[in-house]
Amino acid sequence: MTQQSNLAINMHGISKSFGPIKALVDANLQVERGSIHGLVGQNGAGKSTIIKALAGMLKPDAGSIEINGKTVTRLTPANIERLGVHFIHQDRLLVPTATIGEAIFLRNEPGFGIFVNHRKMARRARELLKQYFDLDLPAGTLIQDLTTAQQKIVQITRALAQNASVLVLDEPTAALVKREVVSLFNVLRRLKQDGIAVIFISHYMQEIEDICDTVTVMRNGTDVGVVSPKTTSIDEIVRMMINRDVGEMFPKRTVAVGETVLNVSNLSREGHFDDISFDIKAGEVVGITGLLGSGVKELIHCLFGLAKPDSGAFTIDGTATNFSSPVSAVSRNVALVPEDRRAHGVALSLSVRENISIASLDRYSRNGFVTPGPEKSAVDGFIRELSIKTPHRDALVRTLSGGNQQKVALAKWLSCQSKLYVLDEPTVAVDVGAKIEIYTLLNRLAAEGAAILFMSSDLLELVGICDRVLVVYRGELTHEFQAGDVDSDRLLAAASGARSQTGRAAA
Amino acid sequence: MDDQTQGGKTTRRRASIGSWGIRLGAISCFAVILAYFAFTAPGFLSFYNILNVVEQSAILGVLAFGMSVVIIGGGSDVQTGGIDLSLAANTGLCAAVFATTSNAGYPVPTAVLAVVATGLTVGLLNAIAVVRLNILPLLATLAVMNVVAGSELILTQNTVISVASEFVSGLAMGSFIGVSFMAWTLIVFTALMICVLHFTGIGLRLYAVGGHPEAARAAGIGVGRYLTSTYLFSGLCAAIASILLVSRLSASTPGSGELLLSVLAAALLGTVFSRRFVPTAGGTILSTLFIGFLANGFQLLNVSSYWVNGVQGTLILLVVAATSLAKPSER
Repeated sequence: MTQQSNLAINMHGISKSFGPIKALVDANLQVERGSIHGLVGQNGAGKSTIIKALAGMLKPDAGSIEINGKTVTRLTPANIERLGVHFIHQDRLLVPTATIGEAIFLRNEPGFGIFVNHRKMARRARELLKQYFDLDLPAGTLIQDLTTAQQKIVQITRALAQNASVLVLDEPTAALVKREVVSLFNVLRRLKQDGIAVIFISHYMQEIEDICDTVTVMRNGTDVGVVSPKTTSIDEIVRMMINRDVGEMFPKRTVAVGETVLNVSNLSREGHFDDISFDIKAGEVVGITGLLGSGVKELIHCLFGLAKPDSGAFTIDGTATNFSSPVSAVSRNVALVPEDRRAHGVALSLSVRENISIASLDRYSRNGFVTPGPEKSAVDGFIRELSIKTPHRDALVRTLSGGNQQKVALAKWLSCQSKLYVLDEPTVAVDVGAKIEIYTLLNRLAAEGAAILFMSSDLLELVGICDRVLVVYRGELTHEFQAGDVDSDRLLAAASGARSQTGRAAA
Repeated sequence: MDDQTQGGKTTRRRASIGSWGIRLGAISCFAVILAYFAFTAPGFLSFYNILNVVEQSAILGVLAFGMSVVIIGGGSDVQTGGIDLSLAANTGLCAAVFATTSNAGYPVPTAVLAVVATGLTVGLLNAIAVVRLNILPLLATLAVMNVVAGSELILTQNTVISVASEFVSGLAMGSFIGVSFMAWTLIVFTALMICVLHFTGIGLRLYAVGGHPEAARAAGIGVGRYLTSTYLFSGLCAAIASILLVSRLSASTPGSGELLLSVLAAALLGTVFSRRFVPTAGGTILSTLFIGFLANGFQLLNVSSYWVNGVQGTLILLVVAATSLAKPSER
């Protein structure tokens, strides 16, 4: 146990029930000053409940909360900031039409009495950004004109301007690109040196390993362990989260590989990728990855029919194909699972049943009328298989949790029973449990003879689930790894173009 | 994701060029119309005429500030944002209350108090409907507008109630260093609004509430309290405007509801003067005066004042269409 005096946050024995559901059972969270503390767990493990208790947004049934050594009895959203605890929300809670200065100092405006000194506000905002982040932005810039990462930085600056001693970051990297993540991490490390305690909540285990000094793992509403990622592997942490082996996380399968389904030859697109050739056979799960800007995204877009290649060709089942739009791709029995499911994946105001069967109504229809029996049983099958948590098949998708909405989006495409599945980051922002369900499903599809091309940035899952992994580096297909012959380090090295195949590339 | 970010940047850049274009276009449109009047209408630019326009714009100006504050607090989204359609009807009811209490022999302070109480009550009604009952402001204030207009008719039986008192004639005729009390009211009111909206924390927080209520709440601002205050303030503006109205006409007359179009035009046109497309004190007073000059110019050119309505309506359509095109889409 650490010394009491060095704890910025000490939540002890917190319990909270919502009716019959126990959200927190005797949970603890202890965060030292000057450290970055990870908080991980599956959706529903109690992460957000314990954070809400800290934010004063809900009152725990039992337990004590100490902030900077002082026991706090009455926590409210209004007084929590005065205690030095600041929350950087997942959705960037900033006024889009405010200037940087206004956003940073809102409600703590420098000035005299009720009057605001706009010039001083702008100057101090600029100084703070320069001091903490070495960022030189005109303080008059409107929030809506900033990039996502810059908005995140403004949020953090706002907290620092109010002398934050504890920063809580909820999925701070979800909307950031890699380069921005790196600069955010540098900022957090600097804050740590200044003695600030950071609570870091993330689904990305790689980030947890990179940035956190200690990690509290939550499962079923309680903390099941406090570990250091320096000494405990990611696999071990994940095992604690899901209470089963990572080996089980990536279920194995043995499938006879069949005929070539997709053949890509000499595909090029000016400025994005060059002379790419590969093929995928029935029953194969092929992963493909590359860093941002490597061209892998554009390659997938070409297969989707969202972009056109300049030269080269691809064939499906031996027939030359040139998709001009996603519609023509779908008509060739190719199922596309695009990355942005929120925007393109589900219709929130329709039911689970309608969402799942909408793309494959032909199969349940006779003479233009939907035959309800087969449709319902097919939908129930998907709900069972993907463990979509919904009260019944006719519940509106709007009422489901985010993870379950994503499963519905996936089920929609799976119900098409295609020969070729092209998936673009299907597991982004999905919790570990749901990931396993998706992996299992992909395995089953492959076992049924489908060919699967699986684009992902999560190297662990590529290693775990794919028969082969293709790596695109600067527009060229540089590596092809066989399963069992690769680990995530070698994959990362290949993707980042590192010469050495052993060292972990600097993140 | 990389190219998406870049795409986002170009859209933003395009949007900001678009917003520049719209602001420049709108402002030069104002300038061209004023220049046209200056060249064609006799005496348009004379000091006396300008002062006359300021004086005649006092009622519209006070009401436009009430509307602007509601739009600032509720957000400038035309469909779901803040709006107070009952503002003009409220002015009519307040005028009727002022006229009847004055004629019933109550002293001026009592009558003024009654007017302010009436204006605030209507404001409170709006606030309850919008903040408590969560009804869209557009609908809530439309309903309140009908209640208020009906009450005015019941009180006045749809007749003109003339008022003759020293207070009223003094307000209408009096002047201070050559500038009438009416004009002074607008000048002082404008100065106060500029000060509160743009130089105090209250103004800044009000803009935050309208810009992103969730963010304002996260910053510890009482969003509901601010919204309620905006509707109360617009009720107060109606009360002040009604006293000016009765003074100018020496009577309360039916048909104040027709002011609504001008008030909306002044508040919405004002948004083009801001790079954030939100109402500002400066923008509101400029567009109030612009509308005043428009009516004045038509008068000087002997064009029927019926045209003014059509022009105002067209301007509202243009501004709303242009600003919604220029705003970066959230989706």
